[in-house]
Amino acid sequence: MLAERLEEEWLADFEERKSTLARLRFGVGCAWATRVIAHEYLEPKVAAASANGAAVATSNYRGPDYSFVSRRMVAVLGIIGLHALIIYGFATGLMHNVFVKIVAPIMVVPTTPRVIDRPPPLPTDPAMQRQIPLIDSDLPRFEVENDAAPQAVADVQPTLTQPVDPVVPPPPAVHRVGGGPGKGFPNSSDFYPPAEIRARVEGTTGVNVCTDEHGRLTAAPTIVKSSGSAGLDQGALRLAKAGSGRYRASLEDGRPVSSCYSFQVTFNLRD
Amino acid sequence: MGKQDRSVRMSLQTLRTLEAFLENPTDELSGSDVQKRSGLASGTLYPILLRLESAGWFVSRWEAVDPASVGRPRRRLYRLTPSGLARASEVFASFGRGVLAT
Repeated sequence: MLAERLEEEWLADFEERKSTLARLRFGVGCAWATRVIAHEYLEPKVAAASANGAAVATSNYRGPDYSFVSRRMVAVLGIIGLHALIIYGFATGLMHNVFVKIVAPIMVVPTTPRVIDRPPPLPTDPAMQRQIPLIDSDLPRFEVENDAAPQAVADVQPTLTQPVDPVVPPPPAVHRVGGGPGKGFPNSSDFYPPAEIRARVEGTTGVNVCTDEHGRLTAAPTIVKSSGSAGLDQGALRLAKAGSGRYRASLEDGRPVSSCYSFQVTFNLRD
Repeated sequence: MGKQDRSVRMSLQTLRTLEAFLENPTDELSGSDVQKRSGLASGTLYPILLRLESAGWFVSRWEAVDPASVGRPRRRLYRLTPSGLARASEVFASFGRGVLAT
């Protein structure tokens, strides 16, 4: 009865609104009014007022159930229960057990130990072991005399310790190849001093250089044998400096190493 | 009136609804008319109308027209009852004294 009345009443009021927005607002308001009216008219006091002769008959209206255990109340109780369950789980350690069951524990798998190939120990040569001779102590004995308070003087027996040289194995034989000017080394004619060319001076200069394993100079080259001409010697030094990086490094057992070596620079006039 | 009046909660919205009727107490107003005078939303107004009607402040009736002839549903018209008018007058008078009647 009430629902039919409100429906007709609201439809009449709805028709009086022309704009879409006004009708939309009216419809939303009526939806809210439905919930409010249903909530109020299902209460016992309103039912009593209706039975007392009020104008509105509500006995036939049955809307949503707004009893104590409503859907909202169920949701709230569910959330509270879920929180209580989580707190209980943390408090009693159940969460840890569940976590361990869900997530597999980390397994440590032992692996076979890595075998490192070590060179065999060097053979010990009995001939290389030194025999340490015993030294007889002929040092004088000191005696201290004290008239005032004679005391027992202990004999001082100095002990001599002789440092023992560690057994140094002989260095193994190394196959060594000396270095020298390598591929791409500058030509001596490019460093022939013009003054010596005009004077037609020729000669050979011995130069000593120190290079690293890459053939680069590690120190300034020096003259080990003069040609007799200062100009040619200077030209040989400039040539040796210009050839840095072009030297062929010395080899020890096939490995390039840093070393010092000498070579000759010859200046000849080509007629 | 006494027992019914106690069920009415005298809120600001209820006062505005009563004020719309007190402009001319003998008028019969539809819900749309009250809404225009009071400015209340429909979700607020209709529960108040039903509440006051249940408490005996208002009486209502259907508009005496034929929906088929006028081409629209009938309107529900509300009117203050004599007791409702007296009680509403007391409520607004108590506001002048600074006491809210409940």
